[in-house]
Amino acid sequence: MEKIKQIVLDTVKEAVFDEQERLIVTVSPKELHPLIKRLKENNDLPFDFLVYLIGTDDGEQLTVTYLISSSKNPSVEIILKTATADRENPLLYSVTDLYETAHFNEREIYALLGIRFINNPDMRRFLLSDEWVGFPLRKDYNANPALNPISVESRDIVDLAPRIMETENGELVEEIVKIFEDDDYIINIGPQHPSTHGVMHFRTALDGEIVKKIDIHSGYIHRGIEKLSESLTYPQILHFTDRLDYLSANINRHALCMCVEKAAGIEVPERAQYIRTIMDEMNRIDSHLLAWSAQTNDLGATTAFIYGMREREIILDIFEKTCGGRLIINQNVIGGVMFDIYADFQKDVKAFIPYMREKLKEYDRFFSHNVIALGRMVYIGNLSKDDAISYAVTGPAGRASGWSCDVRKHHPYALYGQVDFKEIVRFQGDSYARYLNRLDEIEESLHIIEQLIDNIPDGDFCAKTKAIIKLPEGEFYQHVEASKGVFGVYIESRGDKTPYRLKFRSPSMALVSVMPLICRGEKISDFIGIGGSMDYVIPDIDR
Amino acid sequence: MRSFPQYFSDLFGGIRSLLTGLSVTWMELWTKKVTQQYPENRKTLVISDRFRAELSMPHDDNNEHACTACGICQMNCPNGTIRVISRTLETDDGKKKRELDRYIYDLGTCTFCNLCVISCPSDAIKFTNNFENATFTRSKLVQQLNKEGSKLRAKKPVAKAE
Amino acid sequence: MILNYSQPLELSKLTSWIDTALQSALPGFWVLFIELLLVGIALLAAYAVIAIILIYVERKVTAFFQARVGPNRVGKYGIFQTIADVLKILIKEIIQINRVDKFLFFTAPFFMVVASMLTFGVIPFGQGLQAIDFNIGVLYVTAVSSLGIIGVLLAGWSSNNKYSMIGAMRSGAQFVSYELSAGFALMTMVVLSGTMQLGEMVETQRYCWNIFNGHLASLVAFVIYLISGHAETNRGPFDLPEAESELTAGYHTEYSGLQFGFFYLAEYLNMFIIAAIAATVFLGGWMPVQIWGWDAFNQLMWYIPSYVWFFGKVGVLIFFSLWVRWSFPRLRIDQLLNLEWKYLLPINLVNILIMVLIVLSGLTLTDIFGK
Repeated sequence: MEKIKQIVLDTVKEAVFDEQERLIVTVSPKELHPLIKRLKENNDLPFDFLVYLIGTDDGEQLTVTYLISSSKNPSVEIILKTATADRENPLLYSVTDLYETAHFNEREIYALLGIRFINNPDMRRFLLSDEWVGFPLRKDYNANPALNPISVESRDIVDLAPRIMETENGELVEEIVKIFEDDDYIINIGPQHPSTHGVMHFRTALDGEIVKKIDIHSGYIHRGIEKLSESLTYPQILHFTDRLDYLSANINRHALCMCVEKAAGIEVPERAQYIRTIMDEMNRIDSHLLAWSAQTNDLGATTAFIYGMREREIILDIFEKTCGGRLIINQNVIGGVMFDIYADFQKDVKAFIPYMREKLKEYDRFFSHNVIALGRMVYIGNLSKDDAISYAVTGPAGRASGWSCDVRKHHPYALYGQVDFKEIVRFQGDSYARYLNRLDEIEESLHIIEQLIDNIPDGDFCAKTKAIIKLPEGEFYQHVEASKGVFGVYIESRGDKTPYRLKFRSPSMALVSVMPLICRGEKISDFIGIGGSMDYVIPDIDR
Repeated sequence: MRSFPQYFSDLFGGIRSLLTGLSVTWMELWTKKVTQQYPENRKTLVISDRFRAELSMPHDDNNEHACTACGICQMNCPNGTIRVISRTLETDDGKKKRELDRYIYDLGTCTFCNLCVISCPSDAIKFTNNFENATFTRSKLVQQLNKEGSKLRAKKPVAKAE
Repeated sequence: MILNYSQPLELSKLTSWIDTALQSALPGFWVLFIELLLVGIALLAAYAVIAIILIYVERKVTAFFQARVGPNRVGKYGIFQTIADVLKILIKEIIQINRVDKFLFFTAPFFMVVASMLTFGVIPFGQGLQAIDFNIGVLYVTAVSSLGIIGVLLAGWSSNNKYSMIGAMRSGAQFVSYELSAGFALMTMVVLSGTMQLGEMVETQRYCWNIFNGHLASLVAFVIYLISGHAETNRGPFDLPEAESELTAGYHTEYSGLQFGFFYLAEYLNMFIIAAIAATVFLGGWMPVQIWGWDAFNQLMWYIPSYVWFFGKVGVLIFFSLWVRWSFPRLRIDQLLNLEWKYLLPINLVNILIMVLIVLSGLTLTDIFGK
């Protein structure tokens, strides 16, 4: 830490330090880019992973917070902050040239807070349409529906992107660039398309069957959960988490619960930890099964899809019996779990484990070695490790590119520190590696459940909490390994029962943002197949 | 350019993998089918007790419920699904007392988060597993949970200290 | 010695009875006219009935492969499901699309249907149940069945939809390539039987089906014909022109109602036609199983009507086609063409050469054991 401090001070003399859980460095907008660049190029410990990028309206000024970490040692994290007091035309410097994942995040911040980033190559609004009046996450936002009426008229999509570039002599130039060439053959994959796994819109330029360029439009189901959360109490916010990435609903909820528990100093009983871990792993199996099914379906094997669904049904039945929900299961609450396990829970889970192992073998025989399937997955959609880190692609997809990024290993939470499991890392970086990673992770999850299921201790399943939970002032961040990757919850509290700013770091956004890169030059059918192998969930992006 | 033996090993390896795939579907052809025949199996259908399908207010044989109209559930609901409408009565000894008039629950906006049930101090409401909630109009989803003429269950007489 | 047993249920008796009855009552011209009319109606009816049965069978078999029960609501075991679907599709509105090439858009489905209808004329459904027995039957089949692609291309082109266009283009590439393999596989059999006439081909397979007659070469031709036939019918794993997960519905995305019904019908009929040709050319068509010298057994086999044999063999092939379709993922367009040009076509060329050598040197099974 001291070394890093020294590096920061060497680069920026006026940096302000604040040591909380993580080191917080506040710098002026102009110095941010050189500082991040210096930290990224630091040889001993390159800070090459941008975990999150959050914009906040502090009242007077608009702040942007960066959490950067290192792929070599993910336990080292620094928070960088910069702010602008200009509310009319706020401008900050982009870090897109250092971290590709910043591109979409900066566009999102522009849509929600109105901060434009200099040198970002494409400064359109993400999630919101260009005509949207006002910036929702600003505290002085006027939410009057009359300002943003629902338009029923069809509008043409304009493929023009504004941006602000800084010339060499320091001038700012506003310009508008074309996204596609004039004679490109563009097809719209989405928003209503069977294989986008939700309402996602890819404008795809084709050269015959070959994908030339992809332009991503998102926000078709943007619900403004982060804005809504600012007026709800913490227990109330919980029910939104299940609706982000609905496939790893329980894991998302776990993240928010842990974040609140950590901030409020609530001790979670041992029994609850066991139930949470088991349910998380069940949820992971459920999600990976669906990912497997959807991927096979994208490749045209409908039968495999149904086999996956059949096994998934058993997990959903167990969920239903445990906590009364199948997809949106509402199991975790602050301080523990909502329902204790039911009488036959252990029996059902133990019956499921050998059954699932049997079925995994069947999947292997049916699909994993099929020559057609191999032709559709091997060497397709290659994602190198450097790109994976730069785009912040975590989860099974990131690990398929050789990046060890499992939060369960690097920041053990719940009971992951006590159980024995392998982090599945492959180095090929293609669709097939991602595919196999998921199947192997199902196997590992079964292994984790096996170790825990017989040892669930007696005791409370939920700690007693106050009726109204208030968090102390401060910023809290907690991440977990969701089925798609690192899912994080950031809460900025001002001591109220509602958060001042709440942000979910969604893994799917990174998975989608990398699509244009890895699909370039592939066939259109492989574009669909790669989409299946990335396994993104749209509500997680749109929030 | 790949070698000639490679060509044939690819060919036969490929054919073998395809035949393995075929054998899997062949086995599945004879397995038991998993589809549930829903309307026919209503009698044998087991829905978990904990399944949250709709909110209800249990009434006992005397048509009494436990809701004191405190409104905590309404406060805790993130979606404005519950409306507790109370009326004020004067009891015999002249005290003012709040009583439940109507308990309005809108199934259409409910997200089944269970916050109302866990926050209820008198355990007056619970989720039931009656999942057949389809209606033709949205207005039918708005239900009144307390029955006509029902009243608050008298608290069990607590032994007084004196 | 060739035995020809009569069989009470054979439909050829009915047809010859109608013929004599008409001959005695009407002048020659009218007899021909009425008979042509009857044949036309019979074929049309067969066309519709076969399609309906096939759709039902496919749905049921698919369901069983996928651990489901399939249609089971309309009628016992859902047997009236397809009939209900046909009624539904008949009364559905045909959506008028603004910027399509109207004439071509409306013509395309007819091409599909007509192409498959025409093939029906030469298929020997049973003994004497064949509208025309050309002496170039095999050639006719290959020629006529490739008409369907015109329908697909027109549909894709005229729909004014990019998805349809890609689907149609894929279909064109696929069809032209696989036509070659299918043609060569049939040619191998023509070499073996020494005739192009389908009726005669069935006759030559009385004691030994073509699939065994030419040893391994026949078997290879059979497999290649099945693969390329499968590809020609645009069914999985070769369903790229439709590729529902990529192109939503490919070339017939914009079609609705009866027009879509035509495409749907043609798809199933093409599947039937491929299976029927394969059964006729490779598996002895309507000919019952006959074993040289086992007269009693042969007699017994003839008691099963010839059309039952035909549909039985076709049924097995169709089941195989469904099995394959619901087991494999879809190929990509370049893999599809690779398969054809790098594997099937070279193998086919070698195969036809081997077959010629076998036939010339008199090594077929009939040559060795027969006569």
